[in-house]
Amino acid sequence: MMNKIMTMVRKELIDAARDKRSVMAGLSYAIGTPLLMCGMFMLLIGQMSSPKDLNIKIEHANNAPDLIKYLSSQGITHGDSRSTDDQGEPLDVKDIRLVISEDYAAQMAKGLSAEVILIADNSNEKLQNSIRRLERNLQTYSAEMGSLRLIARGIDPRVVQPIKVKIEDQATPDSKGGIILGIATMTMIYAVFISGMNLAIDTSAGERERNSLALLLSHPVSTRSIVLAKVFAVTVFAMLGLLLTLIISKISYAYVPWHELGFTVNISTDFILLMLLIGLPIAMMAASLQLFVSFMAKSFKEAQSYLTLVLIVPMMLSMAASYNIAPDTLQWLPVSGQQQALIAFIKGREIPMLQLVLSSVVTLVITLALTFAMERSLKSEKIIFGL
Amino acid sequence: MIKVSNLSKRIGEVQALDDLSFEAKDGQITGLLGPNGAGKTTCLRTIFGLLQPDKGIAEIDGIDVSKYPIEAKQQLGLFPDPFGLYERLTPREYVSYFAELNGLSRVEAKAATAKVLSQLHMDDIADRRCKGFSQGQRMKTALAQAIVHQPTNIILDEPTRGLDVMSTRVLRDLLRGLKENGHCVLFSSHVMQEVAALCDQVIVMADGKVIAIGSPDDLCRQTGKDSLEDAFIQLIGTDEGIAA
Repeated sequence: MMNKIMTMVRKELIDAARDKRSVMAGLSYAIGTPLLMCGMFMLLIGQMSSPKDLNIKIEHANNAPDLIKYLSSQGITHGDSRSTDDQGEPLDVKDIRLVISEDYAAQMAKGLSAEVILIADNSNEKLQNSIRRLERNLQTYSAEMGSLRLIARGIDPRVVQPIKVKIEDQATPDSKGGIILGIATMTMIYAVFISGMNLAIDTSAGERERNSLALLLSHPVSTRSIVLAKVFAVTVFAMLGLLLTLIISKISYAYVPWHELGFTVNISTDFILLMLLIGLPIAMMAASLQLFVSFMAKSFKEAQSYLTLVLIVPMMLSMAASYNIAPDTLQWLPVSGQQQALIAFIKGREIPMLQLVLSSVVTLVITLALTFAMERSLKSEKIIFGL
Repeated sequence: MIKVSNLSKRIGEVQALDDLSFEAKDGQITGLLGPNGAGKTTCLRTIFGLLQPDKGIAEIDGIDVSKYPIEAKQQLGLFPDPFGLYERLTPREYVSYFAELNGLSRVEAKAATAKVLSQLHMDDIADRRCKGFSQGQRMKTALAQAIVHQPTNIILDEPTRGLDVMSTRVLRDLLRGLKENGHCVLFSSHVMQEVAALCDQVIVMADGKVIAIGSPDDLCRQTGKDSLEDAFIQLIGTDEGIAA
């Protein structure tokens, strides 16, 4: 039985390697997705991080020379559309306006509150960091001024600071990158679903469409061997897709300027090995699921449309896990359970072993159930002849 | 030896096989002759276990196909309709693959494949992928697949359809050769000349039932006609008369 299974696996793989459609489907995802993700991260980082020199529009700057001096020492200066930097390049001026009131100097002199107005679109994600930075600096300046006024009146400034909040950020650089890496892991896990999909359809619905399924079933091989061989072949393809995705990710992620976000994203060899180990049961489940659905479909095209729908389920599980909005039950489910373990590993936390083992066991149980159902369905005349 | 006893099979509303019994002996060519829709393909599919009969049994060399499918099919070669080629494999890979599935080791399968490919004069196309093959080349590939493991029993479903004169001759010579070597050959056809020229025994089928069994000469004598074609029409026609 083993010999026959190996013969079938070898044939399936030769057949698949010569099928341009199957190879292209696997390759384009494995190569394209990491590159796309890289491009997206680069764009995101460029837009989200506040530049070293923040240029905003400051109106009536001459009313508050001291404030302006303080801001410029923090890298925040006035700029308009005509401004250029040292090299004569036009400056990147953020759409933030700081309006200093006409009576600023007078109010300051009297020891009263002087008004400055910060005008910006708070819903604009790209400006968030810059707005926070300006606010923070204004508050620091305000607090400093306040302290000076108190000292001038002979009062210890600590009197007006009954609580001094000290924040110690426990986030390690790696854990900050967690969400972004969560999305990256999601695309990697999804590689096992995409890479083998075309082969799965080709070897089931496609095989029936080309009339070779009936011929294969007429030979002295058990349906179990046939199903196992097909699951195995599709799994091999899915794992190759995953390996390629990981290698391309490792190379391309090195070019993303992570340091601008204050953390590093490093696809280490340990991570690759763990991902391959955890990915194997998922790849087997993906293979059996895709084969099962494709055998149920009446034609190649029908299988394609069903599978697109079916693949939304692992996608949802994976998305829920990467955005950290997951209820606890998701830790025990296939795909999301394994992904949360991977994310924990990236963040440098301890891997939740129990959850990982259990979700992997559930994954394998689903694989076995689907394989068994397929074995039974291949004894049905309806499935064999696509009636 | 292939034997079916009291086979009945209903597909949807149609009684495809209706208490069908016959036997194809070793060292003989048996033709299953019937009009389109008579149940020939259903009968053959039941013999190699793709369809489960509602009643009755199909046996290959005395082994019940539905009870011991793998053992029964061990001594069976199949030339299906349609062929079911793998277009991305070469005939050498294709034939060798099925030889291995029939229990030959990799080395044996390669040797057997080389032998059958030269026997069918296919050496020039043996290492070309099947995609784009002519009907004759496809037929030869399917035929090589059916006989590569030297099975005792060979079943052919409509083997001559779409073949030119040369290919038909190759096929005919091959079937005669198999018969001389003591194989049991069972094929379905609705081409009179083929059946008349090749068969030792003809099974005339209509509406899932056996109408008559005998050598071509027997059938002619039985109906009082000169040609098998006329005898066939007579047999089928009479049956329709009774049914009406």
